[in-house]
Amino acid sequence: MRAAATLILALALAGCDSAPKVVFADASLTLPDEPVELPEGPGRDAVLENCTACHSPSTMLQQPKVSKEKWESIVGKMKKLYKAPVDDAAAAQVVDYMMHVQSQPEASR
Amino acid sequence: MSDPRLSRRALIAGAATTALAAPALASIGAKLGGMIDLGLPGGPSLRPTTPAFPGKGEMIVQRIRPPLLETPMDAFAKGTITPNDRMFVRWNWPFPTEVKAAEHRVAVGGAVKAPVSLTLDDVAAAGEHISVVAINQCAGNGRGLSEPRVTGTQWGNGAMGCAKWTGVRLKDVLAKAGVAEGAKRVRFAGLDVPLTDGAPQFIKSVPLDIAMRDDVLVAWAMNDEPLPILHGFPLRIVVPGWFSTYWVKMLSTIEVLTGEDESHYVAETYRWPSVPVTPESKDFPTVPITAMPPRAFITSHADGATVALGKPLVLEGIAFGGDAALERVDLVGKGWEIPCELGPDEHGPYAFRRWSVNLPQVAGDFEEVGVRAKNVNGAVQPETLVWNPSGYARNVIERITLRAQ
Repeated sequence: MRAAATLILALALAGCDSAPKVVFADASLTLPDEPVELPEGPGRDAVLENCTACHSPSTMLQQPKVSKEKWESIVGKMKKLYKAPVDDAAAAQVVDYMMHVQSQPEASR
Repeated sequence: MSDPRLSRRALIAGAATTALAAPALASIGAKLGGMIDLGLPGGPSLRPTTPAFPGKGEMIVQRIRPPLLETPMDAFAKGTITPNDRMFVRWNWPFPTEVKAAEHRVAVGGAVKAPVSLTLDDVAAAGEHISVVAINQCAGNGRGLSEPRVTGTQWGNGAMGCAKWTGVRLKDVLAKAGVAEGAKRVRFAGLDVPLTDGAPQFIKSVPLDIAMRDDVLVAWAMNDEPLPILHGFPLRIVVPGWFSTYWVKMLSTIEVLTGEDESHYVAETYRWPSVPVTPESKDFPTVPITAMPPRAFITSHADGATVALGKPLVLEGIAFGGDAALERVDLVGKGWEIPCELGPDEHGPYAFRRWSVNLPQVAGDFEEVGVRAKNVNGAVQPETLVWNPSGYARNVIERITLRAQ
């Protein structure tokens, strides 16, 4: 699908006294759908309910392996700074899920 | 493939990958296109690739929504301009997928003599039309290569590109409102907004002296085409020599500040340590990440490539000086270095420049050979990574190994 943007840069002809003219047209595009497929694991539902509105599953699966404390701190930052409405029980499940996913070999993610 | 290095950056056909890695990530790759190995230490290193985004060629998918698309390194193998369909894409928050040109306004306010709301035609009429060729590079480019690894978007080195940007000077747009006494910084906001109430909007500011530079633009064209939506239609800020975090897209607000900028993306993130740190360091002072340091890349050969023993060898690539012109590039091995020949200065100090070096005879493997750029201010790429917890401003010498056969 191509972008519908069709702004035309109409440059003034050489020798013309007027300033170069630029013509702006409307623009739109359609973004591809997300092929949501998080692997099974404890806390998967909590991740789907609380995380995937902002984060593509692929992004989550691509993160380097970090400690449980780091995941707790990241989920905490999402709540405090980015105002994600995640309750404490769900937050714990999200951390469990990320720990589970990162314990799996890369080929199975 | 017993040597893991041999598989680095190797392109793997999507179908084959699906067979050996059925679950989530690979199946996303199979649906989108292929898979690519970014060589990220410790993994996960495979990423899907796709041509499915409007106006884009084959791109590496770091995130679908909002899109984070990385340029495959093969896009830098020829020339010095990155085509629009290969330029990396980075959004912090969702953005409108439709913009009506006649309805778009740029509000210029804050510490100004008379706030104005400008149409696109007003912006285009604000001053002389200027074109600048400049590298657009994410502050986190190469973050995924950090050792120890850090969280965030796990870019390889493809969150960069070089384009010709056309627009008017920011200072001419500011003049429409008139900068008031006491102005210290100029802040930009675009049409991209957070999904959650109360989350910080992606707004960024630069010091007034940067805003008033002759080459800092409000741009509407990229490589002589209208800015694509993915790159910030209808207008974006261009700050040559500075990381692209300041190049605010879908520009809708320009605000002159009389003091420091306390907003999140200036005061709390996109900052790096002002003192040496380790992964154990806490509570260290930080400064905003701003001007780019020099970098160089070998584009003629991938890591692990085979070269002909006993034959001449030509290595080629790209380099840039960052916030100052490139001065030189050297090929560096272990205990030796050879000056490289720079290609013509086609596009000025903020653009990619090609380099090449002719080696008369390959005598054996090249272990960990790299290229080191130096700019005219004396900044030179370091031997070892300046590790920082956000993985910003990577410019360690990038090394590869070539096998002689």
